[in-house]
Amino acid sequence: MTDDDSGALRTTALHDAHRALGARLVPFSGFEMPVQYAGVLKEHDAVRKRAGLFDLSHMAQFALSGAGVGPWSETLTINKVANMKPGQARYNIFTNERGGAHDDVIFYRLSDDRWLLVVNAGNAAKMWAHVNAERSGDVALENLHGSRALIAIQGPRSVEWLQPYIDVDIGAMKYYSCVETRVKGAPSAVVIARTGYTGEDGFEVFLPSEEATGVWDLLLAENGARGLEPCGLGARDVLRLEAGMPLYGHELTEEITPLQAGLGWAIKFDKPEFRGKDALLAQRDAGDYARIVGVTMDGRVPARAGYPVFARAHRAGEIRSGSFAPSVGRSIATALVDPVDAAEGTAIEVEVRGARQPATVTPMPFYKRPKG
Amino acid sequence: MANVPAGLLYSKEHEWVKLDGEVATVGITDYAQNSLGDIVYVELPRVGATLSQATSIGVVESVKAVSDIYTPVGGEVTEINTAIEAEPAVVNRDPYADGWLFKVKLDDVGQAKELLSPEQYTQLTREAS
Repeated sequence: MTDDDSGALRTTALHDAHRALGARLVPFSGFEMPVQYAGVLKEHDAVRKRAGLFDLSHMAQFALSGAGVGPWSETLTINKVANMKPGQARYNIFTNERGGAHDDVIFYRLSDDRWLLVVNAGNAAKMWAHVNAERSGDVALENLHGSRALIAIQGPRSVEWLQPYIDVDIGAMKYYSCVETRVKGAPSAVVIARTGYTGEDGFEVFLPSEEATGVWDLLLAENGARGLEPCGLGARDVLRLEAGMPLYGHELTEEITPLQAGLGWAIKFDKPEFRGKDALLAQRDAGDYARIVGVTMDGRVPARAGYPVFARAHRAGEIRSGSFAPSVGRSIATALVDPVDAAEGTAIEVEVRGARQPATVTPMPFYKRPKG
Repeated sequence: MANVPAGLLYSKEHEWVKLDGEVATVGITDYAQNSLGDIVYVELPRVGATLSQATSIGVVESVKAVSDIYTPVGGEVTEINTAIEAEPAVVNRDPYADGWLFKVKLDDVGQAKELLSPEQYTQLTREAS
């Protein structure tokens, strides 16, 4: 997570709405963003039990078009892109020559030759420079950062509360599918995807910035009394950690590879070539790489990013993310540890303010939403 | 507007002090608990520990962040509020009563004179906002 608060901060189209709701605003990746409204625990609870509304317009959206987008993208990323069908969304990672991550992203294929690519806010400049430097063939790039907004609704009641405003049957949408449609009352076409970063059911709505407040206010006006809560980046981070989802800058970096981050499922080694393939193959074949594991603290004390991790009295690694987790009732974390200490059930210690606190390597996700 | 009760003294680090002879009860203010957000963990000094004025003697942790607790007065810790270990949220709900943190037997009662009045502390929080 890069936090660029040097220079003037940008704001999203929903900035005034956040202030009117009493949001606590903080600098985040060059934007002034809500970290909380009613409180992190209240917002977290709303998402797990009902639904929460998120302004994610700080994330950068790129429009990719042309017949070459699929094959070109595959040469720069770990996952396959060309075989995505229109209406599909897919998680992917742009890599460097060492197999490390430039960014983790989602591709949304809107039609045969029109795509949306969403990248992390903190990597917007880096990724725009990268795709432009690497552009080749029938690929056109457009930077929509700032002109397009992103509103997410996440939680078990997302279908129920969003459906009245959308003409397509969103309940029938497959997970990780997307569609171009309209929101009632808003003039322009929007993209809706059944994607999210919370471990709950939910949708992301990509729309012109000038229509964002209309949709945001409409959703809250109708459902606020039913328990739809505006949610900030604080709750977002706890939700994604509980769901075992990586955060760039923590579980993925230019140095921490997708293999190390437990994302080997997304690496398609049968692609003839892609940036960092050789390095990832070598890493996979050697097998002795430090890796990201889930950690649950035995006691109440939270582990935080940077805290040293020990196993069998030797330094084994460090905490990469940590928080109290309301869905688990425990303090949880991710850690990058030596492979010999990575097995589920391994007893470890986390050094917290000079004292070693007991913890256990536990599987991720820490939380899975109930079926049905 | 944060609550700043009369009858207490305050520190620049957003702690309150209730003086009872040479024993001071210490906690964090309403302004502090509101700034911190949901408190999930509190680390208090040990009973019997000797504290130096204005040093960090424990932490209050919100969901996302760790904050130092400073002691506005020096002396020996005579009691700590063990109830908040099980329920840290009490510090948010009731920072001036049930959410008290620790008690100190002052080694220099004169240190109390360096603390802020309710009016001075209220002014400080206005300037900080």
